[in-house]
Amino acid sequence: MSIKKREKTDWVLKQLFKATGLVTIGLLGGIFIMLIYNSIAFFANISPIDFFTGAQWDPGSAKGNYSILPLLASTGLVALGSMLIAVPLGIFTAAFLSEFAPSKLQAVLKPIIEMLAAIPSVAIGFLGIVLVGPGIAKIFGIQNGLNALNGSILLAVMALPTIVTISEDAINAVPKSYREASLALGANKWETLFKVTLPAALPGLIAAVMLGLGRALGETMTVLMATGNASAIPRGFLDSVRTITATIAIEMGEVPYRTTHYFALFAIAAVLFLITLSINLLGEFFANRLRKFHA
Amino acid sequence: MKYFFYSLLVLLFSCSQDNKTIKLKGSDTEVNLAVQLAESFHGINDDVFVSISGGGSGLGIASLLNGTADLANSSRSINDKEIELFQKSGIPIDSFIFGQDAIAFVVAEDLLIDSISITELSGILSGEFSNWSSLSLKNLPINIYGRQSNSGTHDFVKKKLGIDFSLYAKEMNGNAQILEAIKADNSGIGYVGAGYVTHGGSKGIKVLPVYLEKNQQAISPLDAQMIAAGKYFFQRPLFQYYMASSYQKIKPFLDFEKSEAGQKIIQSAGYYPVK
Repeated sequence: MSIKKREKTDWVLKQLFKATGLVTIGLLGGIFIMLIYNSIAFFANISPIDFFTGAQWDPGSAKGNYSILPLLASTGLVALGSMLIAVPLGIFTAAFLSEFAPSKLQAVLKPIIEMLAAIPSVAIGFLGIVLVGPGIAKIFGIQNGLNALNGSILLAVMALPTIVTISEDAINAVPKSYREASLALGANKWETLFKVTLPAALPGLIAAVMLGLGRALGETMTVLMATGNASAIPRGFLDSVRTITATIAIEMGEVPYRTTHYFALFAIAAVLFLITLSINLLGEFFANRLRKFHA
Repeated sequence: MKYFFYSLLVLLFSCSQDNKTIKLKGSDTEVNLAVQLAESFHGINDDVFVSISGGGSGLGIASLLNGTADLANSSRSINDKEIELFQKSGIPIDSFIFGQDAIAFVVAEDLLIDSISITELSGILSGEFSNWSSLSLKNLPINIYGRQSNSGTHDFVKKKLGIDFSLYAKEMNGNAQILEAIKADNSGIGYVGAGYVTHGGSKGIKVLPVYLEKNQQAISPLDAQMIAAGKYFFQRPLFQYYMASSYQKIKPFLDFEKSEAGQKIIQSAGYYPVK
C-alpha cells in the first residue's frame, strides 16, 4: 500500500471517529437545549418562586399547582433510602471480594453480582408489588406497602452492581505495599482494612456511590410501580411518594401539547437532568482523582 | 441474502396493506373488552385485522391526533383542549358510543358500611375526611386507592364529584392492582370499572351502593336494570373517537359492535349495552 493511500485512510478514519464523538456530544447538547427551551416557556407562565417553594403538585386542579417540592422530596427520600441500604452493603461486599474471598469464590461471585444489573427494572418493580410491598406492610403493621421504603429497597438492589463493581476496582487499585506496611507495623487484618485500605480507596468509593446514586435518581419504572404515587410531601419512609421520573411517566400520556402542564413536565425533567448531571460529574471527578493518585 | 431480500419484500408488502388493519388505542378500562370484540369480529371478517393497545384515554386521543391510531377508545368525553387541538390541525372527528360502564366504589369486605352517599364520597376522596370515624365508623385512617391521572376513570370520578383528589391518594397502575390493595387493606377505598369486580373475583371486597341524598334508594353499579334506566350516579358512556375521513375503513367494526353479537359480548364482559 502506498504511503499516500495509507495517509488517506488514516485521515478518513480520523474524521469518522471525530464525527461519531461529536454526534454524541451533539445529542447531549440537543437534549439539554430542548429541556431548557421548554422550561423557559414554563417559567414564562409560572414564577420560579412558586415552582420551588409551593407545597403542591396538582396540575389537574382548577388552580393548577405546579410545585416541584413534593416531587423533589420524594425523589430525594427514595434515593437517600436506597443509598443507606446499598452503600454499606456494596462497599463491604466489595471489600470482602477483593480482600478476603478466595479467588475461586471471587470468580463466581463477581459475575453473579454484576448479573443483578441485567434484571429489567419492570421485573424488579413487579417484585416490589407482589413481594416486598406486602412484606413491608406485614413487618411494620401498616395497611399498604407501596411506599418510599419499598422503592428504596428495590433501588438499592438496582444500584448495588454499580457500587460493588466500582468499589472493588478502587479497593484493588490500592497498592499492595500499603497493606504490607500496615501489617508489618502490627495492625491486624481488620485494622488494615478500615484504617488503611478503605481510606486510601476513598475517592473511588465516593465515585462508586455517586454513580449508584445517579442510577437511583433516574430510575422510573420500578418507583412508578412500587411507591404508590401519592403526590403529597412525604412525612417519612412509610408514606407513598411520587418521584419526578414517575410523574413524567404518568402525566406525559394525557397532557395536551404545548400547555403549561406540558412545559411543566419539561421543567421538572430539566431539574432532574441537572441533578443527575452534577452527581455524575462529581462521580467522574473523584474517579479521575483516584486514577491520578495511583498512576 | 437473496432470501433476506424476499422476506424484506414480504414485510414491506404487508405494511402496504395497512388499510386492512384498524389500529385501536386508548382506555385501559376498555382494553379487555376491545380485545374480545376484535377477536369475534375477526372470526366473521377474516380479511380485516384489528390491533389493540391500551395506555389510557388521553393517550388514545393523542394518538388519533398524530395519526398513529384509527380509533381511540375513551372512557371520558373529549375535553375542550383536545377539541381545540383537533380544530387547529384541521382534523374533523366523530364519536360513537358502543356501551356503558359503571364505576364501582369498593372497600374491604369486613368494613362495617353498606352504602355511601355522594357527599361522603366527595369528603373522602378530596381528603376532607381522613378517618372512617367521620362516617361514624371505627377509628381507622382512610387509604384512598385511585388511578393515575392519565386514566379516564380518574378524570370521570373527579369531574362527576367536582373535587380535586386528596394529595394522599395513592395512584395505582390499574384496576387489578386497586382490587388487590383493597383486599389486603381493611381501611381502603378505591374505584374500579364494574366489569373488573364481576370478572376479577369479588372475594374479600365489597361494592358500595351509592345514594344521592338521605332516604333515597342506594343503587349498586352491578344492577343492570338501574343502569339501563340511567339511575346510577357514576355511569358513563364508552366512547370511540375517530377521524371522520376514516369512517369507511372502520365502519365494519363499528357495525359489529352495534350488532346483537357485539352487544352480547359487551354485556358478558361486565358492561352495559347502549339503551
